[in-house]
Amino acid sequence: METKTGEPLIHFGVLEEALNLARANSLWPMTFGLACCAIEMMAVGMARFDLARFGAEVFRPSPRQCDLMIVAGTISKKMAPAVVRLYEQMPAPKWVIAMGNCAISGGPFYYPNQYAIVPGADLIIPVDVYVPGCPPRPEGLIEGILLLEEKITKRGRLRKFRDA
Amino acid sequence: MLKDTLKKALAPLGLENVADGDYAKTGCHLEVTAQPTQMVEVAQAMLDAGCFLESFTAVDFPEAFDLVYHFASFDELCRTAVHVPLGKKKGMYTISQIYPGADWYEREVFDLFGIHFFNHPNLKRLLLPEDADFHPLLKDFQAGPGND
Amino acid sequence: MIELLGIEEKTYTLNLGPQHPSTHGVLRVLLEMDGEFITKAEPVIGYGHRGHEHMAENRNYAQFLPNLGRVDYLHALAYNQCYCMAVEKLLGLVVPERAEFIRVMTNELNRISSHLLWFGAYLLDLGAFTPIMYCFDDREHILDLLDRVTGSRLTYCYYRFGGVPTDIDDEFVAGCRDFVKRLRSRWCDYDNLVTKNVIFINRAKDVGLITKDQCVKYGLTGPILRGSGIAYDIRKSEPYSAYPEFDFEIPTGTRGDIFDRYMVRLAEMEQSCRIIEQACDKLPNGPIMAEKVPKRIKPAEGEVYQAVETARGEFGMYIVSKGDVKPYRIKLRTPSFANMSVFSELAVDTLVADLVAILGSIDVVIPEIDR
Repeated sequence: METKTGEPLIHFGVLEEALNLARANSLWPMTFGLACCAIEMMAVGMARFDLARFGAEVFRPSPRQCDLMIVAGTISKKMAPAVVRLYEQMPAPKWVIAMGNCAISGGPFYYPNQYAIVPGADLIIPVDVYVPGCPPRPEGLIEGILLLEEKITKRGRLRKFRDA
Repeated sequence: MLKDTLKKALAPLGLENVADGDYAKTGCHLEVTAQPTQMVEVAQAMLDAGCFLESFTAVDFPEAFDLVYHFASFDELCRTAVHVPLGKKKGMYTISQIYPGADWYEREVFDLFGIHFFNHPNLKRLLLPEDADFHPLLKDFQAGPGND
Repeated sequence: MIELLGIEEKTYTLNLGPQHPSTHGVLRVLLEMDGEFITKAEPVIGYGHRGHEHMAENRNYAQFLPNLGRVDYLHALAYNQCYCMAVEKLLGLVVPERAEFIRVMTNELNRISSHLLWFGAYLLDLGAFTPIMYCFDDREHILDLLDRVTGSRLTYCYYRFGGVPTDIDDEFVAGCRDFVKRLRSRWCDYDNLVTKNVIFINRAKDVGLITKDQCVKYGLTGPILRGSGIAYDIRKSEPYSAYPEFDFEIPTGTRGDIFDRYMVRLAEMEQSCRIIEQACDKLPNGPIMAEKVPKRIKPAEGEVYQAVETARGEFGMYIVSKGDVKPYRIKLRTPSFANMSVFSELAVDTLVADLVAILGSIDVVIPEIDR
């Protein structure tokens, strides 16, 4: 898919790095659970897998107030226009995580005679990070969010701690 | 015994077949076959006996559709399966004036099979988008190649 | 005065859209409101339709097993059990006793986790943020136990035709006992946080009344039926698997309001704990798979209807087989489909806040309605 937003009009230079650091460490996801993966997304926000330590526990229901859309679940053809509209309602800069096999490529529901689903979120909206699994473990989603942070700040996390 | 009460209630309706089912093999105690025109009276008889509509679906056979209603009761274990053979281009009479719960079941059968229900209060598609033009559970349905 | 000024009074149409924090998934409700009161509420479903029944006709019996876990992901093991029992009936297989006990134990653990999630998410809808933290904490213990045995946390695919594929060990049984002890010590926490909370009582008492007549006409099953006073539970009225061996009660309510349904679900969690304890005590030794399970599942021609009791109500599977490796037709009779159809009648003349409370107390899972 084409780039989601054009080049920014104003470059802030070094301030841009600080802004990106701020954006990455305080992502506000949208409550967009479509199916089973939504439960694991809820579990990520809870006490055991605590998403709050990464700054992302503030799940906003309204798309106007969030900058991260975690597509958790199968996108049916009836729901696809709503997904696109919600994506367009989010203000830039915005990112999308495709969580679960259904959002990546249709998952267990994709077969040649399928009539009801859109096999993959990246067919309708641009996706930044793919988190595979059916459903992915909450740790997997956290890894996806940390990868997104790396993508936003364009700098890696401390590698020796990451791959331990 | 609820089974005997039901058999007595269904006897005057002149149904094709009211027989005992093999519960261990099929899960139903009573197997009934009825014509589409008799279904409203059958439903009324089941409601008067205190049964609830457990499930309603259709099966697409090559010669005709087979509409299958399952009734059960909260008080006593007695599951009744009512089979209604329906011709391919025919419509069916709604029982939603007797069992309001059948409203959604009939909409679903209309959506997935294309069977029309006369006098239904709100016969619109239920599961597929409103502008869809196919009925997916028909045996000759093929999803198009560009289904994304 | 209004007529003098020529002002016209109309109803206001509000869309409770498919993306909403309190609709438990992708449910859309079209509301027509007169001020704050709702005159008409029409649920629009189908946003989660994935074509399970069509997939069943395109897959053979064993390939359809993973689908069942995705129909209702919160109590997936009961759906697995219903499908396995239905096909075992068609094939004429007898499941060994140890496998039945394992099925019941894991099923009841899953039921508790489903009710716990309902409890937390429902109170989140009503505006309370603390109970969901407690519930998910308890739930994680169950998920750890089930993860050890089945391999997955949420959408299980553990049972096979004829039994279960992997056995449980002593550590699992000890873990179950510890968990039951721990959960029982939490009831007073939940009581103090929620049941005795005056805000919850005001929002839940005498709201969303379901009459017995509505139960029969709409075919409602599960805790909402038992909340209205009808003691119908398939585990007792049509016993299957190893349930006749256990001693448990069916909690019922009296008035049929939200508070009764809430109390029924809490009491059901306690009854599930009782079943798990008894199963841990009585667990027999023996094989876990039936003898002579055919390699190619090709049931004889015929049809079967099998019902089980899930956390939401009665789940029934109607399978028509033509003697082929693929089923001819599978119908999934899901409890949320019937339970949701009464919603438009319940919603008339209520406030929007009560509407959310009623919807949550019916405990729907949208992919189950849409299949």
